Amino acid sequence: MQHDNASQCLSDDRLNNSEAPSIKSKKTLHALTSAALVLPGLLMSSAPATGKDRVNFQYSRYQEGERNLFGAPNSLKPITADVLHGSGIFSLTDRAKFSFGYTQDTWSGATPVTITPLATTGGNRPYTDGGVVVGASPILNSTVLLDRDLNPIGRDPLTKELTGAVDPRSVLVMTSASPETRRQANFGLSYEWNEAALNVSGGFSRERDYKSSFGAIGGRLDFNQKLTTVKFGGGYTSSDIGAILDHDSSPYITKTAYLPQIVRRENSEILRGERQDWVANVGVAQVLTKNALLDTNVGYTHSSGFLENPYKAMSVIFIDPGDLNNRQLTSISGDVRALLEQRPNIRNQVALNTKYIQYINPLNAALHLGYRLSVDDWGVNAHTFDASWVQPLGNGWTLTPRIRYYSQDAASFFRPYLFSQQRYTTQEIDSLGRKVWLDSNNRSIQYVGNDQFNLFDQNGNPVDGFNVVPKNVLFDAAKLPENFSSDHRLAGFGALSGGVILSKMLGKGVALETGFEYYTRASSMQIGGGSTSFADFDYYVANAAIKFDMEPVTSLPMGASKTSFESHAHASSHHHHKIPPAGIMFGHMLDKPGDFMAGYRFMYNWTGGHMMHGAHQVNDQTIINQGCQGEPCRFVPTFMDMRMHMIDLMYAPTKWFNVMLMPTFMDMDMNLRRLPGAPPAAPGVHEHTGVAGHETGAVGDTYFSSLIKLIDIPGHRVHVNLGVSAPTGKVDIKLRRIAKNDGGLIHFGMQLGSGTWDFMPSLTYVGEKSRWSWGAQFSGVKRLEEKNKSGYSLGDMIQATTWGGYDLMHWLTTTVRGAYTWQGAIHRDFDAFNGRIGPMDFPSNYGGEFWDIGVGVNAIVPQGRFAGNRLGFEWIQPVRSDFHGFQLDRQGALSATWSYHF
Amino acid sequence: MVFKSFSISTARSVWIGVLWIVNIGLAGCVNVAPWERGNLAKPQMELDPHPLQSEIQSHNYSSREAAPSHKSSSGGGGCGCY
Repeated sequence: MQHDNASQCLSDDRLNNSEAPSIKSKKTLHALTSAALVLPGLLMSSAPATGKDRVNFQYSRYQEGERNLFGAPNSLKPITADVLHGSGIFSLTDRAKFSFGYTQDTWSGATPVTITPLATTGGNRPYTDGGVVVGASPILNSTVLLDRDLNPIGRDPLTKELTGAVDPRSVLVMTSASPETRRQANFGLSYEWNEAALNVSGGFSRERDYKSSFGAIGGRLDFNQKLTTVKFGGGYTSSDIGAILDHDSSPYITKTAYLPQIVRRENSEILRGERQDWVANVGVAQVLTKNALLDTNVGYTHSSGFLENPYKAMSVIFIDPGDLNNRQLTSISGDVRALLEQRPNIRNQVALNTKYIQYINPLNAALHLGYRLSVDDWGVNAHTFDASWVQPLGNGWTLTPRIRYYSQDAASFFRPYLFSQQRYTTQEIDSLGRKVWLDSNNRSIQYVGNDQFNLFDQNGNPVDGFNVVPKNVLFDAAKLPENFSSDHRLAGFGALSGGVILSKMLGKGVALETGFEYYTRASSMQIGGGSTSFADFDYYVANAAIKFDMEPVTSLPMGASKTSFESHAHASSHHHHKIPPAGIMFGHMLDKPGDFMAGYRFMYNWTGGHMMHGAHQVNDQTIINQGCQGEPCRFVPTFMDMRMHMIDLMYAPTKWFNVMLMPTFMDMDMNLRRLPGAPPAAPGVHEHTGVAGHETGAVGDTYFSSLIKLIDIPGHRVHVNLGVSAPTGKVDIKLRRIAKNDGGLIHFGMQLGSGTWDFMPSLTYVGEKSRWSWGAQFSGVKRLEEKNKSGYSLGDMIQATTWGGYDLMHWLTTTVRGAYTWQGAIHRDFDAFNGRIGPMDFPSNYGGEFWDIGVGVNAIVPQGRFAGNRLGFEWIQPVRSDFHGFQLDRQGALSATWSYHF
Repeated sequence: MVFKSFSISTARSVWIGVLWIVNIGLAGCVNVAPWERGNLAKPQMELDPHPLQSEIQSHNYSSREAAPSHKSSSGGGGCGCY
């Protein structure tokens, strides 16, 4: 952390040319010597817990381009992923630091399930609406016509008619996924000695189908007057896979190799597996000259267990050996079947990383050059070259262009598809060479005989007059390769990417950073060159981050600038008005012109338990009959969780006027249950089966606000807030198409925003006297548009709330609050297809009147390292609800806030 | 360790070894005095000047490429099964 202060000081000097030369050189010398004393920090900047105390928030969006389906219709939206990241590092003592991180990503979109020849009768099979081709369904099992050299004979990708010419092209078979969310949390502790450091870290990652926990230990030792640093580390990850096999495609995928690992729960098949990853690495960072350094490390990864991607299948083309041997045939029919991929159960990887960094004196820039070689026993050898140029531009701006090239060889068991010279199924032959048949009325009874009119029972007695069917057995798995995968990540390819990072120090310890990268993958870019292009694609990633530096008091003497000391002193000596409970938004203002506040607000809203009608519980039959506006309801929600992450940025241009910007990130999940006695699905309706529910998550609406102080007398303050909500959250999230039916728009409550511009005014009064504080707020939401892009608008809202607080300590306040909320029902309806399967799909089943009690605590850290940090928690307990229509009961809500004044 | 098919692994190991020796060897002959380390201490000279960006990049690369992520020692990362 200290070297950062020093370098900050250096660049401040460079900017501040008007300063007297003597002062400047003195400061520079101070900075240089302190930089030298703390150099090791620089050599371990990638360690999780170094640097100054800091909180980061970052949002990133990944957007993939469309895959090339060679003329087959491609109506599926490409993959997108929205990633929210928050992390922080805090000093516990002079030498010990604690770090944490939280990452949440939600992805959805089109993903390849297998690869087939383009010339099959299946693959991406077009479907029509009103005679017009509007999309394609993934057809995994099909046939392909082959010439005698097993080259596919082409078919038109739309009509599937034979063209007569050989077509060697392969194509990805695309399926789509409804949104899924992953959450990861990690924690770390580090301890520094003068010439060494040690850190331990751990965490977990959770998805519906994949859970992993990990731990790591690492450290460094400095030698040679800190010109050489040796780094070492090791880690272990344990993962549990419980892949819910797609109920739409699973019946068409052959899973015989995994039968012992598949369990059934409700209507779902779950493929279970475990996986372990061990990593170890050791490295050296070496200062070469006063302007250059080199960093090298070697890493080893050992993975074992279930290393497959449980959603990827290999297309195996089964060929009847009789057809092959029949010289009369000019073409052969291949039976295309999808088999779950089979990877080796062990993988060993070794990677060598080298990085060279050169300071470019005339430009005050740094050139970073990296090379990485990785080899493994799957045959995937990869080279990565990357270069970046870090260019400070003055006034706190830094621009970093970057370029990267990557090339990998294919895994030894990668094939786009396989041939197998045997039939997929054949009639079983008994030990005497006779065909086996089954009684079609009782399949446990077997007969043998060479044709169905000449049969014998188990005792060898001739029988007659039965209806029999052949007893078929599956192919001989021993004739297939032991391992096979057509996952295009294991193919040979090259990738070129480039991007730029722009960052800006705003002063007062706040920095903004944004990055953009474009990535293009092509098999022809592989070193040595590839020829197939079926898996080529591109993506871009854009992200924005905000970073807050918080300087602990004890770090000040070393190289700290005057301004940072002042700002900190200000933060800790500030007279703190008591802040309202955590669930109150827009509840306080900054007092001094130029003040800046950054904060994070988390809100969790839980609905579950009984279905309600008005203020009373309602039984399932009534819901079926009345809940869906004349149509019979078939499903109700069993629970729904909504989480909102909000960044609060507040600035005071004057003491009576504050502005606020609050970007939000939402994620939700919901499970449904089928109502007993409900009628079957109408044709063409998204049908829920199995254990998987629905998840959505991404950017929500963004709030802008102006706060105006009306009254500010000792003990009493009143301010008005004029806020606007911009419709940045999506309202057109769809469920994926399954079983030849469009999923349609997901339920209103699972969409991420209002979709309309909304006016959000509020009037807040707060009072305080000695240990007591109190307040009241009236707030509302008025939708400014009649309908959003999906055709509806959420209901308006009015809330009145009042609270009282008492200081248990001078830094700790407890609050009790009562709130009344009225919300209108949804206006209009979706103007696009929605499944209308339950009450949550009908506009009149939203809104109501609600009474709540909130209990909370607020804390402000008065002194020490974390001085100036404010924390608040509040639990909102529903007391009474009077719902519009039929809704799931409310269980409560949690608000948690953190804020810091600069 | 079971390396099934390293046809050119020996050559690579030698190469890796040489690089290491060169690196360690450099350690002995370099001498940069503390007051000459000002440039090295600048933020642009950090090994990873943009850790938030690197984290995003490596997450995306590891979900699209077969080589191990350089962040893999910290674990996690999930399935990336899309």
